[in-house]
Amino acid sequence: MTEDTFLDDDLLRQLMGVGEVDLLVGISSHSDANTTSQALYAIERSFQQHFTRQRAVIVNAYGGDQHGGDATARPGNVAEKNVRLAESVSLRTVQRVTADFSVPPSPGMTLRTILAAADLLRARACAVVSPGTTNFTPDWIANLLRPAYQEKFDFVAPLYTRHKFQGLLARNLLYPMSRAIFGCGIRELYSDEWGFSGRLAAVCLKQDVWHEEAIVTRPEAWMAISAISNDFRCCQVFLGEKLRATTGSGTDIVEVFRQTVGNLFWCMESRQSDWLDGERPEPVRTFGPDHELTSEPADLDRHRVFEMFRSGVTELESILSSILDPETHAEIKSIVSLQESEFRFTSDLWVRTLYDFAASYHHAVINRDHLVQALAPLYRGVTFSYLTEHSESSPAEIETASEALCVEFERQKPYLKEKWKAKVEVKS
Amino acid sequence: MRQTILQGLEQAYSNFVHMIADFLPRLLVMLIITVLGLVVAFVLKYILRAVLGLTKLDRVSEEAGASRILRLAHLAPMTVLLSRSVFWVTWFGFILIGLGVLGVAGLQGQISRLFQFLPEVFIGILILFLGLMAANFLSRTALLAGVNAGHPSPRILSWSIRFVIWILAISMTLEELGVARQTVISAFSIILGALMLGLAIAFGLGGQDLARKSLERYFGNAKKEKDREPQPL
Repeated sequence: MTEDTFLDDDLLRQLMGVGEVDLLVGISSHSDANTTSQALYAIERSFQQHFTRQRAVIVNAYGGDQHGGDATARPGNVAEKNVRLAESVSLRTVQRVTADFSVPPSPGMTLRTILAAADLLRARACAVVSPGTTNFTPDWIANLLRPAYQEKFDFVAPLYTRHKFQGLLARNLLYPMSRAIFGCGIRELYSDEWGFSGRLAAVCLKQDVWHEEAIVTRPEAWMAISAISNDFRCCQVFLGEKLRATTGSGTDIVEVFRQTVGNLFWCMESRQSDWLDGERPEPVRTFGPDHELTSEPADLDRHRVFEMFRSGVTELESILSSILDPETHAEIKSIVSLQESEFRFTSDLWVRTLYDFAASYHHAVINRDHLVQALAPLYRGVTFSYLTEHSESSPAEIETASEALCVEFERQKPYLKEKWKAKVEVKS
Repeated sequence: MRQTILQGLEQAYSNFVHMIADFLPRLLVMLIITVLGLVVAFVLKYILRAVLGLTKLDRVSEEAGASRILRLAHLAPMTVLLSRSVFWVTWFGFILIGLGVLGVAGLQGQISRLFQFLPEVFIGILILFLGLMAANFLSRTALLAGVNAGHPSPRILSWSIRFVIWILAISMTLEELGVARQTVISAFSIILGALMLGLAIAFGLGGQDLARKSLERYFGNAKKEKDREPQPL
């Protein structure tokens, strides 16, 4: 078996002690250690309240005490003890297994360990959760596990309540593009929580991708796309508002781009045979509301966003000229000179820009990491345009615009295919 | 007198015929070696082009930024350039061997020296090429990082990095070729030292405000500015 090569002896011993299970929840406890115990407690409560008759296990990927954090996350403390809550109504004991890594494992390694454990324990439904989410509730776990356990879904993506100006990369790029390319109508393709079936776990575990950088850093989108491409059943489940633990350093947009856009381009490259001749996207079933937007006032510096777009397009002209189609590049340069009040990054131009970037990534016209970084200033232009256009929009209007963008991505898919298949002429 | 002149002419004619008789086979051998070299060079060129085509070297070269440098220098793509280089080096080698066969006085020594110098020339070219590639890659990295961090003058930063690496690569190449070694090392040290000192003075004294603002941005307000952008995920 594949997992024989990387699972630790101690972990194997623990897993053999557990036997077969119905449900498995994996958690990585190396970061945000102070919220780990809260997450573990929520998972146990979920098992006790919602799955009283099912055999369940928690697999905790523990990567050393990096933050001087929580003692409960450490092996040797309660983390590996099996728990039975006094007030619970469960008929079974919740098992806990700790995969002890000397250094914090990468998300890819954590997922691979969880998949291997799920495969060994023959779990029917699994979920991965992140202790970085601070408002974790037992219902969330149940909502992620139930579709896979009871409704025979193979991939369960979460949906969250969002502020209308939050998650704009997902709204304007990741969701519409992945939907058009892979027929994957999953809104939160890059999330910290998701559910999956034992069947999908076994299939993903056998793939020879675990050394790939894209999988090491963000494996969840690949898992969703694998599920779609292999005709597994996918769904979304509404979880509510998500609160993240503060990391203290703000959001590094370049790192986010590497982990998501770079990852999506990599998925396009590695799964090109699936989507190049693919069919139209099919809607994904959603449990709960399809979307929920809030619109409290937000303290955003729009002017800075616009200035960073403008300076980016000017400074990166030579790089953008090697990535973009001349017509697309000329159009972008023409809107740079507009006043903020007149500025608008049209969806037609945005889609063409992204498809040019994807095709250039495929043809490796410049270093791929540089290419992904060069997209960040253009995304800022789209963000500014979105903030201006939707400053007064209602959630319904935003949803209509979002759907129109998805349609634009689908409409221009032949353009991407043409660019993708075109041979790059190397000038002599 | 007449007899002596006739004898001299006869001797000269005999020497000339002897020399031609001696030279012509050598010339023929040289021509054969040259033609053989041409054939071998052609074969090697096409084999190498096919092998490099299979390894997708042009794509790797594009990705590494080497093709861009070649285009800027109006040179052919990497695969063509390498196969052409192999062709010319092979044929040139055969021509030199052929010239050696002619046995022209003094030429042997020059050819031998040229052969000894060739590896250094190749290493020099390689150092220069790798240096230009590194300069291109690192300057682009700096430019992108500067732009995405909102740095006020990312292009200056990028060009500074490119310039320093160019100077380093050129100095290393000249040193490898043995061209004015001491002068090159001294010139490099002076240029680099002056550049760094100049930048330090310009940034620390001339641009006190800019230095303060930049440091404040990096260490103080960076998080606030990031937080005032919409969350991407």
